Amino acid sequence: MSRPGFVLEVDDRTPPLVVHEGQGFRLEEFPLGTRVIYPPESLPAIDDVDAAIREALLEPVDQAPLPAQLRPGMRLTIAFDDVSLPLPPMRAPDIRQRIIEQVLTMAAEAGVDDVQLIAANALHRRMTPAELRHIVGERVWRSFGPQGLLYNHDAEDHDNLRHIGLTDKGEDVEINRRAAESDLLVYVNVNLVAMDGGHKSVPIGLASYKSLRHHHNAKTMVRSHSFMDHEKSHLHHSAWRMGRLLKEHLNIFQIETTVNNDVFPAPYEFLMKREWEWSVKDQASVLAARRALSVAPRRLKHKMFHELRAPYGLTGIHAGDTEAVHERTLATVHRQQLVEVDGQSDVLVLGVPYLGPYNVNSSMNPVLATCMGLGYLFNSYRGQPVVRRGGAVILYHPLDEGFNQLHHPSYVDFYDEILAESTDPAVIEAKYEQQFATDPWYIHLYRTSHAYHGVHPFYMWYWAAHAMDHVDEVVWVGGDRRAAARLGFRAASSFADALEMVSGTVGTSPSITYLRNPPHLIADTR
Amino acid sequence: MSRFLSETVDDVRTMARGWRWGRRSQVPRSAEAYVPPAQATVFDTDWARTPAARAVREVAQKGVLEPLLASQVRRHVEGIEVLDRVDGPVIFVANHASHLDTPLILLALPDEWRRRTAVAAAADYFFDTWWRAVGSAAVFNTFPIDRRGGAMAATPGAVLDDGWNLVIYPEGTRSRDGWVGRFQLGAAFLAIQHRVPVVPIAHRGTYAAMPRGQDWPSRGRRQLTIRFGEPLWPGEQESPRELTPRIRAAVAELIDEDRTTWWEARRRAAVGSTPDPSGPDSAPWRRIWEQTTPPTAPTATGKRLRAWRH
Repeated sequence: MSRPGFVLEVDDRTPPLVVHEGQGFRLEEFPLGTRVIYPPESLPAIDDVDAAIREALLEPVDQAPLPAQLRPGMRLTIAFDDVSLPLPPMRAPDIRQRIIEQVLTMAAEAGVDDVQLIAANALHRRMTPAELRHIVGERVWRSFGPQGLLYNHDAEDHDNLRHIGLTDKGEDVEINRRAAESDLLVYVNVNLVAMDGGHKSVPIGLASYKSLRHHHNAKTMVRSHSFMDHEKSHLHHSAWRMGRLLKEHLNIFQIETTVNNDVFPAPYEFLMKREWEWSVKDQASVLAARRALSVAPRRLKHKMFHELRAPYGLTGIHAGDTEAVHERTLATVHRQQLVEVDGQSDVLVLGVPYLGPYNVNSSMNPVLATCMGLGYLFNSYRGQPVVRRGGAVILYHPLDEGFNQLHHPSYVDFYDEILAESTDPAVIEAKYEQQFATDPWYIHLYRTSHAYHGVHPFYMWYWAAHAMDHVDEVVWVGGDRRAAARLGFRAASSFADALEMVSGTVGTSPSITYLRNPPHLIADTR
Repeated sequence: MSRFLSETVDDVRTMARGWRWGRRSQVPRSAEAYVPPAQATVFDTDWARTPAARAVREVAQKGVLEPLLASQVRRHVEGIEVLDRVDGPVIFVANHASHLDTPLILLALPDEWRRRTAVAAAADYFFDTWWRAVGSAAVFNTFPIDRRGGAMAATPGAVLDDGWNLVIYPEGTRSRDGWVGRFQLGAAFLAIQHRVPVVPIAHRGTYAAMPRGQDWPSRGRRQLTIRFGEPLWPGEQESPRELTPRIRAAVAELIDEDRTTWWEARRRAAVGSTPDPSGPDSAPWRRIWEQTTPPTAPTATGKRLRAWRH
């Protein structure tokens, strides 16, 4: 039986606690009374995954069984979440592979010839063949990849986009033409966190810039409280409106999966354990890991972390009508990640790990670190933010990984030119977004290379807009000072210094809450 | 390189302090509600009673433990001749105030008795990690007993049947203030079931020398005294509930005897006024204060014993 998450109050018996900071972690001794939110332990995984998939496909929610929807001569498109999910990437076989194989088996039995598979990467970078093969498996790849029937969605291929219409709020709904004109679109998702899935899958994953700009903007993000809670997220409200419009034009068979909290494989399991329960072996592993990381060259550290493959276990799979399915999915995600927290605090502490959705097999540049910390981790709440309005956020990350020129070319210019001008999300959106979104060179790199779209760094900044609007102080512990200054923040060499720096805002004895994440958690703040 | 070394030292220090190396780990108070119940694992200690382990133990006890104990405390043993009047196996029952109790008792025994004596140790304390279990079984010939459950584990009976003497502390845990607590029924139950005598033992001074929470004897070679009492045979129809108070009374009389004289203790026992070993009903500090006074052994008074009165 896995234990629930809970809120630890640091006392004299509490050992130093793990805080992630990029490609490493430190052991931090927090002041007495600091609250530390621990996620629930990993839920037991479903033993017979294949049987669970089959059951979901044969007994979907509010839809006919999948075989009944398949017929000869139909156009079937299977779309799936891209490399940004799950994090870290799942140890093979990926759950998407196992689902897609069963869907294709049923399609073959039904005599469906016209099948295409599309990675729903929106404005993310195109995945490499190896990455695609890891997600769908060798068998699917061999059957569709070389034939050009398994490919990345291209949001700038205007011939292959279809404008479906406008929502009642005037939002453009434009998605991949093949998907839009299919008789059935099967979407295979990995619902790692509560933000994923639902109508965020098709209307966002297969959309174009024209459609995305309606919700990926500073105003929407500032109003999404939080984007981990779709009922209170303006981003999701917009996506839901688009999804409902799409539903009138398109048959979507949504398959959503949830995974447990088995994030770190051996020998890094200690990162998922509660520190006071570390065995002698765990303590030895911690020491060995810290010492090795302190001398390892940057490339080796990158390799050590980015080659981690999570031994995730499946906790649930639901298929059928998008909204009904998503409701069930969220219940399972919440069971795995929700922790009740009593009230807000003055200071929120977040350790930004080595990986976010946009630097898989890449580097966590300062913009992405901001997005990860002030975007994803800050927004890991339901109800109200863990930190009070006007409080402070203290983040851990060295901000020294630099930029990956292949994956993040527009980020370099965004960092060098735009952030030098302003760090206000609304200002940079108004002044510079169009320029980056329509830049032909960025579009060329997005379409032909493996670059994120030109507008993507702006989106990263918008993800952090709610946090920037909510708190008064942001300090990076161990962060590169110049990088922090460019981002509009400050850097401190130690946690004590960071507390000193924010004392002007929150006083000298603030209440502190540390989100012990990863593994993933959602603070249900009352 | 020097930076690497200094950081390594820092890391080791941080971990040694944070995870209390060499001491028992602790759970933060707010996390106590989330500690999973301990798994009931049976740790096999039969190997500790094999000839090879006995040879190792002999070296450990006589070659290391005894000189070490002698260097840290002074000991005074009385009443050991009672063992001449019984054949093993027996159950030694003693009050329990310190980790010093076991070495004190074992090293007070004649060698032939000591080599055939095993010690009942709390499964949840001495057998919670493999290294603690192996260490205590190797040096002290311990075997695990479950002190939380109602039923006795099967092991003590088997050890007894194999001809080993047992040391049992019926209080189940070390005293928190040096006074004697309630006796549980396990030792009496075993004595009745296996028809073996109980040899009561009383010792004083171990609490003053090394109380709970301390992992090394206090400085100054404190005085410890240990006194063996007459063997108690369980009656034909006697139940554990009847035998246990008898054992406790015997231990109480031995403490009284150790504190005063055999004659005075006998007279008080005869009229039923042996002082209660659970101590006076006074403020906790006074109870502790009294127990932290080291006992005075007859040989340690500074006066020479004189056979002839002038």
